[in-house]
Amino acid sequence: MMRMQKNRGPKRPQAVETFDAGKLELGEDFQDAECLLISEVKVLLEAQYESKKEESNFTPVYLKTLEYVQKFSRYTNRDTIKEVRALLKPTQLAPFECAQLGNLCCTEYDEIKSLVPSIGDKISDDDLDSLLKQMDSLKKYQA
Amino acid sequence: MREFVTKRLYRDVEGTCTGRYGYIIAVVAILEIQMGKVIPGHGSAEFEVKYSAILYMPFRNEVVDAVVDNVNTLGVTANAGPFGIFISRSYIPTDMKFDPHSNPPSYHSEDQKIEKGAMVRVKITGTRVDATEIFATGTIKEDYLSVIE
Repeated sequence: MMRMQKNRGPKRPQAVETFDAGKLELGEDFQDAECLLISEVKVLLEAQYESKKEESNFTPVYLKTLEYVQKFSRYTNRDTIKEVRALLKPTQLAPFECAQLGNLCCTEYDEIKSLVPSIGDKISDDDLDSLLKQMDSLKKYQA
Repeated sequence: MREFVTKRLYRDVEGTCTGRYGYIIAVVAILEIQMGKVIPGHGSAEFEVKYSAILYMPFRNEVVDAVVDNVNTLGVTANAGPFGIFISRSYIPTDMKFDPHSNPPSYHSEDQKIEKGAMVRVKITGTRVDATEIFATGTIKEDYLSVIE
């Protein structure tokens, strides 16, 4: 008996999900993009909010994001943000990993390595540990 | 003219969402406005504008903090800024039980509680891009993920 191939109509486009933050595959548009810390986004958005308050036509996306960054901003002080950036800059980490370090604010190197697996062996455990400790103390002593 | 093009850019792109770039949250700077072209046979003109903007693109396997929005028998929905995350019941640790009689409804274990307004640390397992929004699914059933203070 001859088998007939069933006609299932035009082939549906399947979503190609190749991006994987765990392996640091962010796609060509984002691979080398600068990643901002939540605290930095807060500074930028608040500055814009102040200057455009009179027009008061903010998009819902803008307002939701503003609310989110205000809730999760770890560093309240501009100078602290600068210092955190200065700590992260000399490391071998990708921009995305730097941002994750600054945003998640872990205290143990095991924790951050589990949450951001792409860090892997890019940085020694001791270095990572001291980096996290320094960031933590900056957070504690910010004005 | 410059001012009009600038205003129009702000109005047209801010708050939009595409599969390629994620959310365009805010335009930060306008780098270049090129000479406009009038479209033949049409009254309008076209300007190419280069600008820098703050984007928000959620990636698979990225860990984000989110605020719980709704809790029901199926799972938990949470918001991380502009986009929503759904955490299915099967991706919530098994020791956290759904309690419909608590007010508000919650998932709780002996020492942790997920209810509306709680903050959770979620790993994104997948994203779906619509015309106007991104929706993600997530998990909290892994080491170091769960409710945060």
